[in-house]
Amino acid sequence: MSHIHINVDQVSFSYEHGEKILEDITFTAREHDAIGLIGANGVGKSTLLKLLVGLNTEYEGSIRVEEIPVEKATLPRVREKVGYVFQDSDSQLFMTTAYEDIAFAPRNYGLSQAEVDSRVQHALEMVHIEHLRDKQIYKMSGGEKKLVSIATILSMIPDIILMDEPSVALDPRNRRNLIHILNEFEHLKIIASHDLDFILDTCNRTILMADGKIIADGATREILENRALLEENGLELPYCMQGKQTC
Amino acid sequence: MSKLSKAIYEIHHMDTLANQNQWMNRIHPLVKFVLTVFYIGTVVSFPKYDMAGLAGMMVYPLVVFIIGDLSFLDSIYRLRIVLPLVCFVGLFNPFFDRVPVGTLGSFTITAGMISMVTLMLKGILTVLASYILIATTTIEKLCYALRLLHVPAFFVTQLMLTYRYVSVLLAEANRIMQAYSLRAPNQKGVHFKVWGSLTGQLLLRSMDRAGEVYESMCLRGYTGEYHFGDAIHARGKDYLYLLFWCCIFALFRLLPVLNLIGGLFVA
Amino acid sequence: MHMADALVVPAVAATMYACSAVAGGFSVKKVRLESDPKKIPVMGIMGAFVFATQMINFSIPGTGSSGHLCGGMLLSALLGPYAGFLTMIGVLLIQCLLFADGGILALGCNIWNMAFYGCFVGALLIWKPMMKKGATKGKIIAASILGCVLTLQLGAFSVSLETLASGVTDLPFITFVSTMQPIHLAIGLVEGLITAAVLCFVHEARPELLWGIQDTKKKEGRFSFKTTMAILAVVAVLIGGGLSLVASANPDGLEWSMQKITGSTELESEGTVYDDAAKVQETTAVLPDYSFKGSDSVLGTSFSGIVGGLVVVAVCVGSCYAFKFFRKKKTA
Repeated sequence: MSHIHINVDQVSFSYEHGEKILEDITFTAREHDAIGLIGANGVGKSTLLKLLVGLNTEYEGSIRVEEIPVEKATLPRVREKVGYVFQDSDSQLFMTTAYEDIAFAPRNYGLSQAEVDSRVQHALEMVHIEHLRDKQIYKMSGGEKKLVSIATILSMIPDIILMDEPSVALDPRNRRNLIHILNEFEHLKIIASHDLDFILDTCNRTILMADGKIIADGATREILENRALLEENGLELPYCMQGKQTC
Repeated sequence: MSKLSKAIYEIHHMDTLANQNQWMNRIHPLVKFVLTVFYIGTVVSFPKYDMAGLAGMMVYPLVVFIIGDLSFLDSIYRLRIVLPLVCFVGLFNPFFDRVPVGTLGSFTITAGMISMVTLMLKGILTVLASYILIATTTIEKLCYALRLLHVPAFFVTQLMLTYRYVSVLLAEANRIMQAYSLRAPNQKGVHFKVWGSLTGQLLLRSMDRAGEVYESMCLRGYTGEYHFGDAIHARGKDYLYLLFWCCIFALFRLLPVLNLIGGLFVA
Repeated sequence: MHMADALVVPAVAATMYACSAVAGGFSVKKVRLESDPKKIPVMGIMGAFVFATQMINFSIPGTGSSGHLCGGMLLSALLGPYAGFLTMIGVLLIQCLLFADGGILALGCNIWNMAFYGCFVGALLIWKPMMKKGATKGKIIAASILGCVLTLQLGAFSVSLETLASGVTDLPFITFVSTMQPIHLAIGLVEGLITAAVLCFVHEARPELLWGIQDTKKKEGRFSFKTTMAILAVVAVLIGGGLSLVASANPDGLEWSMQKITGSTELESEGTVYDDAAKVQETTAVLPDYSFKGSDSVLGTSFSGIVGGLVVVAVCVGSCYAFKFFRKKKTA
């Protein structure tokens, strides 16, 4: 097995005194996997993603990112390898300009100014937004913000990217653009979404969740074609498979 | 336009101004900051009745407004917040201080009138000077100047975050108010029954957002220490600019320049 | 209540800057000691929150007018005095640097008047002692109103003091104070009510967000809503009564009008103020014969002053346009 991978073994999680949000989650993600994490609202997709980057370390079971167990002491090492893109870009982007925001992580890693500059430039090029380098965040459209969010992660040169509902609030063009960019990133990515068409275009493997458990794990096409399985778990066939239009 | 959308518009507007690539914008932020403070300090240090001396200080805004292509009208708008208190304080001087100091035809000019005009002139000049600073300097650069003045990085970071999220929260508050007024068309403000819940909702959402921002910072290597970018260096030109104006201010403060020049002509 | 640059002299401004800087430095130290890295984003965003909510109009029932939130008391109840103080400084700085609301020189005064009292007095003297034995709705309402009224009164009083110390106005101190205080009593009451409403909401929804509350379990009854309102009424009457006493000690009282002031002060102004003015003039003017000593010279100097002014304006404007003209040529 290549060094890039995530192992999740029998993980359960609940907030203080609350009911269980995740129950007995087990899966392994390998290099070149593009995993779509699907499920209805509130099944624990975002919670699972947040556990993978250690935003909550009080879980049961074991999570290992590239053989490093995700716990308080190892968080800096884990987070250098994993980039997490928030659903709300305004929360992700807290600096005033795109440059400052993308440079935030490299600066924290103590890189020299020249290295920071080249990292930022590289990240901007990867998502094709060189022209946004010095633009103020609050002047950007939703699509631009999403791309800058991804660039802020890419400047860390992560092995793994996690994304929470990346296609929400994007117009068709930005959405297509985003699909392109994601397909160019070839390491390991996990995308939580209920935009099944988006998953179909970006992911080769899909994990279906319901009530905090994994219901199905397999090739994206197989799962997304299974109308009965999807409807049983609060989802519908992707539009392009509903026979209304062809894709 | 509601107050909220006006504020959003104003932020955009000032930001666009400050981000222009004019020569005034390129002057080192600390130089502009120090100069502004020095100017305002000089203006307010003029004696209460020294109207003529103070009038000379208008040279700075006059020159900078023309050369820097700043809009005078736009700056007048800034006076609305500051001027009422100044007026309230100054307006009574003519009534208390009725020592005659001269006549203009049959009209007697009193010391109180002079001190009132002086005070209002001070009010106008100081706001104009602030406007010159903020219309040519972005908040990022001002924050940089603050850091050079040894304001703790901790506080500067907080300040930049406030600036970043002011527009986000203004837009959020604006949406809430629009949704509210669409369902309460005949109300001018927020009904007292929902004072708590309306504002409280926004507060809780802001707190949640703060939590997410913190998470986003942590995920990118933040450990409580903040790292700023590289320095902006002051050039010889900047120092020259500072020196030039400081000399002018000192000159106008120490000598009755206007009278001296006028004397050449009136004899 | 933003203080303007024009109302302070450099000495007063510097003094207030020094006071605010000491309080700010102390707060930075205190917040650093807590070493909670989450504090920075929370403070930054709460600053933006206060900025935004200051723009919301809260209609006051039965009056047709509206009130606003200032935020000092609210912040200190959520973040504590030190973080609250720094957050308020951030808000004032942004207002000053973005909108020119309140001057750069007067910022020290503004921080003191609006942030220091609201956060330190509000949090340490009112909120903390009152919430020591757990919070109830009644106590929150009482603390909010009391805190807002008291801190605004202190702030307004400071505005009067700073203006007076700067010597820019001839308005008698007592008149100035007796106008400022009652206005801010009303403002404080409304702000207190809004703050109370918000804090009660937070108390119900997420009590853990409130600062300085050891026991989050609700304790019933000890301090009921009705008794709170009664206490508040008494406090309001006392403050109001005290103020009107102060005001009535001054013959012009609360309902002074311009005419009254001018009528009653005409006599005294003839003697004392003139002497004062002359003294001020002699000690401050660099060239004593320049400006008014007698009516002849005043006209003479003003005339040459006006001519001089016109010449300077003409030269400035002319050379500016010439400068721009040649610049354009150079770049074209």
